[in-house]
Amino acid sequence: MNRSEIESRLKDLLAVALGNKPQLQGVTSDSHLVNDLGLNSVGVLYLVIAIEEYFDIRFDDVGFGDFTTVGDVVDYVESKLQ
Amino acid sequence: MNTSPVDVFDKYTDAETLSKIVDYSTVGEMWAHSVATYPNNVAIDGAQRATFAQLDQMTAHFRTVLVQNGVQQGDRVGILMPNCLDFVKAFLAVTTLGAVAVLLPAHLDEATIFGCSMKFGLKALVYFEAFAPKLGLLANRNPACKQIAGTQSADVPTPCTQLEGTHPAAVLFTGGTTGRSKGALLSHQALMRGTKNGCYGIKDVFEQRYVLVLPLTHVFGLVRNLLTCLYTGSTLYLCQNNKDLFRDVAIFKPSIMILVPALAEMALNLSKQFGRNMWGDSMKTIICGAATVAPYLVKEYASFGITLLPGYGMTETANLVSGNAEASTNPESVGFVYPGMEWRVVDGELWLKGPNMMDGYVGDEEENKLSYCDGWFKTGDLVRFDDKGFLYITGRKKEVIVLPTGENVSPAEVENHFYAIDEVQDCLVYEQIYDDGTWSLVLEVLPRPAVVAKYPQEQVEAILKQKIAEVNAKLPSFEKINKVIVRTTDFVRSPSMKIVRGQNKQ
Repeated sequence: MNRSEIESRLKDLLAVALGNKPQLQGVTSDSHLVNDLGLNSVGVLYLVIAIEEYFDIRFDDVGFGDFTTVGDVVDYVESKLQ
Repeated sequence: MNTSPVDVFDKYTDAETLSKIVDYSTVGEMWAHSVATYPNNVAIDGAQRATFAQLDQMTAHFRTVLVQNGVQQGDRVGILMPNCLDFVKAFLAVTTLGAVAVLLPAHLDEATIFGCSMKFGLKALVYFEAFAPKLGLLANRNPACKQIAGTQSADVPTPCTQLEGTHPAAVLFTGGTTGRSKGALLSHQALMRGTKNGCYGIKDVFEQRYVLVLPLTHVFGLVRNLLTCLYTGSTLYLCQNNKDLFRDVAIFKPSIMILVPALAEMALNLSKQFGRNMWGDSMKTIICGAATVAPYLVKEYASFGITLLPGYGMTETANLVSGNAEASTNPESVGFVYPGMEWRVVDGELWLKGPNMMDGYVGDEEENKLSYCDGWFKTGDLVRFDDKGFLYITGRKKEVIVLPTGENVSPAEVENHFYAIDEVQDCLVYEQIYDDGTWSLVLEVLPRPAVVAKYPQEQVEAILKQKIAEVNAKLPSFEKINKVIVRTTDFVRSPSMKIVRGQNKQ
């Protein structure tokens, strides 16, 4: 799976976590997970579980709080898939 | 003064199960019965595992550790640990020795831990070893408070202490009716009655399988999860990290979960996302509370074959005041009041008495004066009962808005009308007064992602406002909303995911 495919799928998962919100239209790799997308703690938990389930990966000792932007998450998923 | 009939929940339970739902006056009495009845059942599962008999041995030896550190009957002992087997061992040891367990939330910082040791006069603190760096201030400024690692044991056991039900057992933190953090003192009989109440309204409640995701320092986690498991010979699997919840569920196959609505909703969305019931086929019942339970959740879980039962309780009532065993037909209610409770409704507010009530806030006379009247505890919750005895929470007394017209509006009651809209996940009503003296009753709504996702994004707000307008048209004039704001970001929430009123006006 290449980077753009990971990003695309991540946006799909974000859409469920956030709803079909206006913020998702302009979402980029630089979008801030909390400040721009408004993820709360349960939304973050949803996203972590959904990412692990969909990509069949396990987050290491890092918490989701270690990621600031969408791009950070894509980088991490990409590294885990390699 | 009112009480529920003693048999109000009998029809939901078979006779054999009902015969096992009995009164225990102390934690020790209940625990001795469970150890004798279910010695080989697994009590705690997960990263660490112990049967009832093994946990009893560990507890007896830890009582010795407490005695060796000078702990005596009536002393207060802090417990500062995350959910783990040693927490359970320490809680049982402290309470069955006759000391009082002060349950300190694991996230407390160094200064607050020290402050709690002084406020509650802790004789000792049982701690999780990874938290040792947070105990420096306590060691320096309150050396009289003995620090005991939760992993400790002793060579010989110490027996339980014989106690009366009125003996104090635990102090739990609560925001209470005023929102200020306080310690509610619960006796043994309060904990045991709360635990017994948790057994009502479910057909299969003995020897069940639970996964714990709520903190054991919260009354919902302690009473309805841990103590009900210990009472019923059930197994409690301790989830170490909530992100691994569904891996744990797949391995452990729980039959009952205790959840706050936000987690129930999250699991529902995951189930829809991945096209399968994330709880698995073994899951039969979800007990849901600690915040408003949207009727939508009851309906959606029914489609997965899972019965979601809303309930109502407070820390001050050892968790459980009422439970709704008929949620499928009456999802807006929090059910019938449990037997043994006495209640009055005074100016719309629910007042309570009963064996599960706390014995007041520790060291907080001002708060105790505000919270009691002639021995009745004033819950601060505005309620109504229907003609069948179903209880409905309609708002919080302190939150009542007095309109310039002199009419009183309970924002929670108005919000409940809009929670009936499937597209509404959460909402908040407040009064806005403008510089020119005019005012609006404002409704802010957070759309429900899984439902509004089916609409074109540009139409979501219009569709939502149309549905809100339809509900608004049916409300009495003084409750009608004048302004609607559709939020794109979540509300500010408390650690238990409740919306924090006063911090959310956009």
